[in-house]
Amino acid sequence: MSEDLLARITESIVGGEPESVVALTRKALESGLQPLEIINQGLVAGMNIAGERFTRGEFFLPHLLIAAKGMQGAMELLEPELGARQQVHEAVGTVVIGTVLGDIHEIGKSLVGTMLSANGFKVYDLGVDVPKEDFVARVKETGADLLGLSALLTTTMIGQREVIEAIVQAGIRDQVKVIVGGAPVSQAWADEIGADAYAANAMDAVEVARRVLM
Amino acid sequence: MSKKSSSVPEYFHVDFEPIGRRVENNAGKTLLAAAQTAGVQLVSLCGGVGSCNSCRVRLVSGELSTPTREEQDALGADDLAKGYRLACQAIPLTDVKIDIPPESLTAPQRLQIEGQETFIEPDPVVTAFDVQLAPPTLDDLRSDVARIRQVLDDLGIACPVIRLPVLEGLSGRLRAQSWTARLVLRGDEVIAGLPQDSDLLGLAVDVGTTKLAAYLVDLEKGNTLAKTGRMNPQISYGEDVVSRIAYTINNEEGRKLFQAKLVEAINDMLAELHNQTSTSSEQVVEAVVVGNTAMHHLFAGLPVRQLGEAPYVPAVADPMDIPASEIGLALAPGAYVHLPPNIAGYVGADHVAMLLATDVWDSARTVLALDIGTNTEISLATGGRLLSCSCASGPAFEGAHIHDGMRAAPGAIERVQIVDGEVRVHTIGSQPAVGICGSGILDAIAEMVAAGVIDSRGKLQKDNPLVREEDGVVEFLLMPAESAGHERDVIVTQKDVSEVQLAKGAIRAGIEILLEAAGVAHDAIEEFIVAGAFGTYLDIRSAVRVGMFPTLPVDRFRQVGNAAGTGARQMLISAERRQATAEIVRRVEYIELTTHPNFTNEFIKAMSF
Repeated sequence: MSEDLLARITESIVGGEPESVVALTRKALESGLQPLEIINQGLVAGMNIAGERFTRGEFFLPHLLIAAKGMQGAMELLEPELGARQQVHEAVGTVVIGTVLGDIHEIGKSLVGTMLSANGFKVYDLGVDVPKEDFVARVKETGADLLGLSALLTTTMIGQREVIEAIVQAGIRDQVKVIVGGAPVSQAWADEIGADAYAANAMDAVEVARRVLM
Repeated sequence: MSKKSSSVPEYFHVDFEPIGRRVENNAGKTLLAAAQTAGVQLVSLCGGVGSCNSCRVRLVSGELSTPTREEQDALGADDLAKGYRLACQAIPLTDVKIDIPPESLTAPQRLQIEGQETFIEPDPVVTAFDVQLAPPTLDDLRSDVARIRQVLDDLGIACPVIRLPVLEGLSGRLRAQSWTARLVLRGDEVIAGLPQDSDLLGLAVDVGTTKLAAYLVDLEKGNTLAKTGRMNPQISYGEDVVSRIAYTINNEEGRKLFQAKLVEAINDMLAELHNQTSTSSEQVVEAVVVGNTAMHHLFAGLPVRQLGEAPYVPAVADPMDIPASEIGLALAPGAYVHLPPNIAGYVGADHVAMLLATDVWDSARTVLALDIGTNTEISLATGGRLLSCSCASGPAFEGAHIHDGMRAAPGAIERVQIVDGEVRVHTIGSQPAVGICGSGILDAIAEMVAAGVIDSRGKLQKDNPLVREEDGVVEFLLMPAESAGHERDVIVTQKDVSEVQLAKGAIRAGIEILLEAAGVAHDAIEEFIVAGAFGTYLDIRSAVRVGMFPTLPVDRFRQVGNAAGTGARQMLISAERRQATAEIVRRVEYIELTTHPNFTNEFIKAMSF
């Protein structure tokens, strides 16, 4: 019964039915399943399948976004439960992400956050239009291993360079790896501004994050 | 049901599918006659004598007259057996249902494209007076300007201003015209001294990111004398607005270059318009230029950097009057160019012009109006409120980012039908297919959804016979190589489906957020206005079927073509219309979608089918 519920959660994530994901998660909690079980064997399993399909070219951004919406909805239910049971999600790394100053594009950056969370990273999402000072302060405060910078406009990608300059000035450049991404961003741009890596999409971001931390 | 007064019915019902028109057809009249009665534009190249095969239709149900000799020759036994007939030959014997293949329709169902050429009482900002001046003599040594002042003073116009560009030509002209002139005034300023009885002309320009449209207008009569179009020459520096802004950030001379390129292209169009109408540039005493905020700024030579960074504010939103001579526009030397106000960084004067032309702003009804492009501007008028937003719908409907995408040009598939598992397409100019344009990809996706080729999440169904997998890539075959114009298959890929999902999702999310902000339900939309080039050619039913537009009765939709250009022309001939734009801008409540708390949710919801 409980295994069946977890499998159905996974299926609903992959099948793109965010409402059922949330309903099934609620049911799973009521039936006594542990939040961590639901996350790892239900939600994350589903996100991983969706992610693999994305990598194989069978899924595209809309499918991944719909899957992530289910995951996010379920996490809203589960996070208070995790807190109440004092359970912690063991993290493989800590990431600060945000969209740079002057840019208010949210969706791609949040999807990266969700995929990293689903893959065991502790994610601090600073939102959009984030000043460089905030990135520096949060990296220091959280001791983050990774900094993810998103820019969706050719006019704002310069902000990624400015954040990197700011973390150099703050003297924390060698404590944190910087990954850049966004529609106009490329490997060449990442090289030019001295980022550690470029991630082409949300799934790639997970791969790249694992790679730069090795 | 047809009326049966006796054994011989007076008429039969003819249902035309897939366009959904039903018409009563007098007994004995052909299907072509029925189509003409119904306003269904069937192709009839031979004029209805059964020799050309262009009015091919298919009988779905009911009974038609026995195939004529012409039909047997034109169609052959195979097609006849499948129910194909020539509309010009076949006569209904009962109520019938007829299916029209796309190639037999002259135009996609376009709803009132021409509409909205409402008559505006000419009331231009310039006025003209035919005058006779006293020539100078040795006894009368007053300056030329003093003479003009005198004659205007006699007409009750005191202290006119005459700027240098006008003065430069005036003295020679007065002498050449034997001291007669048609003085053109704009406020208290003399802007031209034309030969007497000259027609006063105006120029309206719609500066699109991709295309320019120019109209030469008779200012006193209000009619359009000629129109022409060009590609925006800035396009070689970046396809979209943001990449052009980036260009000006990275290249100091970029801003001036873009202005010069635009002015040059407009001057080019002017020369063509003058050629067409045998008029001259000095007659053009006023211009109105509309464009999105970035195009507006680049035309005026204003900085655009701030449009490329949140919170995306315009340098100026107020209306402006720029002397044409200052920017090198080849109008009358004293002419001004009027730039209407902008609403926001991504809702510009072109949208204001569209709201003006369609009277959305002034409507007592609940009206939604949108112009689909790389950025789609949407406005909702309801209960005295006017709400606007802009959404990043991307270039999919301009054929970009689509595997076989292309602009609407000959050979582009513009209409698609899937009937009984058979794909039918129609191309622009009936040329062999080389790609798909915006209306074609929209149709294709709508038909694929209806035929179950893609599911509600947008996934191509591998087990569908129309879907194939080649080298791990799942795709839908629209037109096999042997029928295509470039000997390559024309396909729709899973990625193409996704691109359309993103585009239509963004547009629908914008619509939903405006409705929600105004507290208006879908049903309450009394009129749904679709403007712009793609909006002119898209099939409304497809847009509804993919969920880009809400489900409304089809007669609530109105396709108005280039309403921004129409609005610009209205502002050219009417000072009152020009003033109305101030009211529009004052009333608009602009909603920023990118940071709207419900946007992501609505967007994701709207991506499904």
